[in-house]
Amino acid sequence: MNREQLPSTLLTSLHVSYIQNLGKSTDDLAYHLTAHLRLNAIYWGLTALFVMGHPDALEKEDVIQYIQSCWVEEAGGFAPHPGHDVHILDTLSAIQILVMYDALDRIDIPRVVKFIVSLQQPSGVFAGDSFGEIDTRFTYIAINALSLLGCLDQMDRDGAANYIKQCRNFDGGFGRCIGAESHSAQVFVCVAALAILDRLDEVDGDTLGWWLSERQLPNGGLNGRPEKLEDVCYSFWVLSAMSILHKIPWIDAEKLTAFILSCQDPEKGGISDRPGNMTDVFHTNFGVAALSILGYPGLVDLDPVYCMPAHIIEAKGLQKGWKNLQRRVE
Amino acid sequence: MPAPETAAPAKLKYAERPEWADVEPLQQYEIANPLAPILYSEEYKDATDYLRGIVKAGERSERVLELTEHVIRLNPAHYSAWQYRYETLVALSAPLDVELKLMDEFADKHLKTYQVWHHRRLLLLLTRKPAPELALIARILQRDEKNYHTWAHRQWLLAFFNEPSLWEGELDFVDTMMNKDVRNNSVWHHRFFVVFQSGVREGEEDRERILKRELIYVKQNISLAPNNASAWNYLRGVLEHTRQPFGSLAAFVQPYTVPLPASTTDIVDLENPPPGRDADLPCAAAIEFLADVYEERGGADNVDKAVELWRSLANEHDTIRKKYWEWRIREALATSS
Repeated sequence: MNREQLPSTLLTSLHVSYIQNLGKSTDDLAYHLTAHLRLNAIYWGLTALFVMGHPDALEKEDVIQYIQSCWVEEAGGFAPHPGHDVHILDTLSAIQILVMYDALDRIDIPRVVKFIVSLQQPSGVFAGDSFGEIDTRFTYIAINALSLLGCLDQMDRDGAANYIKQCRNFDGGFGRCIGAESHSAQVFVCVAALAILDRLDEVDGDTLGWWLSERQLPNGGLNGRPEKLEDVCYSFWVLSAMSILHKIPWIDAEKLTAFILSCQDPEKGGISDRPGNMTDVFHTNFGVAALSILGYPGLVDLDPVYCMPAHIIEAKGLQKGWKNLQRRVE
Repeated sequence: MPAPETAAPAKLKYAERPEWADVEPLQQYEIANPLAPILYSEEYKDATDYLRGIVKAGERSERVLELTEHVIRLNPAHYSAWQYRYETLVALSAPLDVELKLMDEFADKHLKTYQVWHHRRLLLLLTRKPAPELALIARILQRDEKNYHTWAHRQWLLAFFNEPSLWEGELDFVDTMMNKDVRNNSVWHHRFFVVFQSGVREGEEDRERILKRELIYVKQNISLAPNNASAWNYLRGVLEHTRQPFGSLAAFVQPYTVPLPASTTDIVDLENPPPGRDADLPCAAAIEFLADVYEERGGADNVDKAVELWRSLANEHDTIRKKYWEWRIREALATSS
């Protein structure tokens, strides 16, 4: 693609209609394969809409009813789609969407809390479902969800922090489980989880901040590990952790902003992983979220710990001491 | 996402097969849904309708294995199918070597899918036979050298079973992978895991010797390819882990911080292997390292030297991180004055 044709401003109205239209496409052959991501997709889309200042772009009541249809009565949690199995990923998405819509009263909170707490293992880490896969990602999800529900005291907080601590590597980063390689996305979940638990003392901020700033490549984009390609979604994983550690000024914000903007589809809207690739709602959300952290003009502040609009987290009294770049005016 | 796969040869739908007539297929519940229309291929809809029917009835039988395999082939991320398959295998006391063999094929095809690896782990917990697994992992890593799940699976296997025979060939394996790509961060991470993070095994008790061995190893690799962030991170990690001063490496690092001299001598110095003749120098990571050495030594003169090096990174050799280097300069000057 010709460099000069790449977008250099955020195409907000195109992205809004792109997200609205996701629900209307009927000829997408790959769509049935993503049923297991359905509630996540709504969370990504809705978060992007809130951050772009269009919180009413979806039919709120339809969304809430859909969430309720994903409730799995026997398990006490949410599935990605009706008829699927309950999973902690979807349970968090459901809670996040309902918090954004101020509609938490539509679910049985004590039962959801019980389900989430039941997934914590003796080592302190959380499993994602009864299949038993463990991941620091699930620990973050549990902590995020429980704190949104005001029930953080019902889990073993020390156990969770202790497990995360053991995932810290020699380069200052964190991995998926004990012994696993440092990875930007795992760094985000571990740092954000520790932030919610008020245990950031477990992080070596300068070493990790340096490792995170090393993720920026000469083209401005960020990667997940050394010697890997840049990808828009890492903009969020890296920046969110850096915001929590107060290290955003170490990033070349101008170059990263230009990189994210160059990944927009100027015709159909949406953001992709790299310039010229197919867009999707996942990269659209994390691209917009990263731009908000970078202070892009006109966007709503994003809380990097929860990846939700900052004013909503603040209203719940959950805001931590992160530091995004100051919002620029056009 | 992997492309959908059609199970070959084309079979009749479950709805048309008499041996499935006793199962009540359960259709997906659909309601108006803003971001999520569902368009199913006929084959997938048919198979998952019957899977839902089977799950509802709680059936555990051979044909459940057939059906779950079919669904997983169509969508390897369908974790409900995986979970039901695993529970069925256990309930039937099915032969797990047969299952693992089938899973070898899945690991090859769907190596980026979490569930494939988690299922293997559950099977290994039952078979308690980890040894053949190392060869399979090695084979898969030949194809996708940085696959996160595969490396994590190997680390889990080694640490969980923790048998001396499993660890025995691990450093040779690291060498094999390193020879393929010296810039593969997963391999460097794995080496650190094996040498420093998984306990001290027999024959490795002399930690002085191990430290020396690791320093020679990383220095030789830097000599072969100086601009390699993973190797420099490893060097820092080893020094910090063993509490060695960075200054002990100053003589080695110095030649990497300046342009390559026009003529080089052929003196072989194992302690301090010099950059190769085609090295792209100066190397930013070496400049950073040397600046840390000066900062560690302390004193106004040394801080000045460090600041000079950081300036060269900010303005010339690593401009994308200009803000970071400027911060280092401010911090060092504030502390030293």
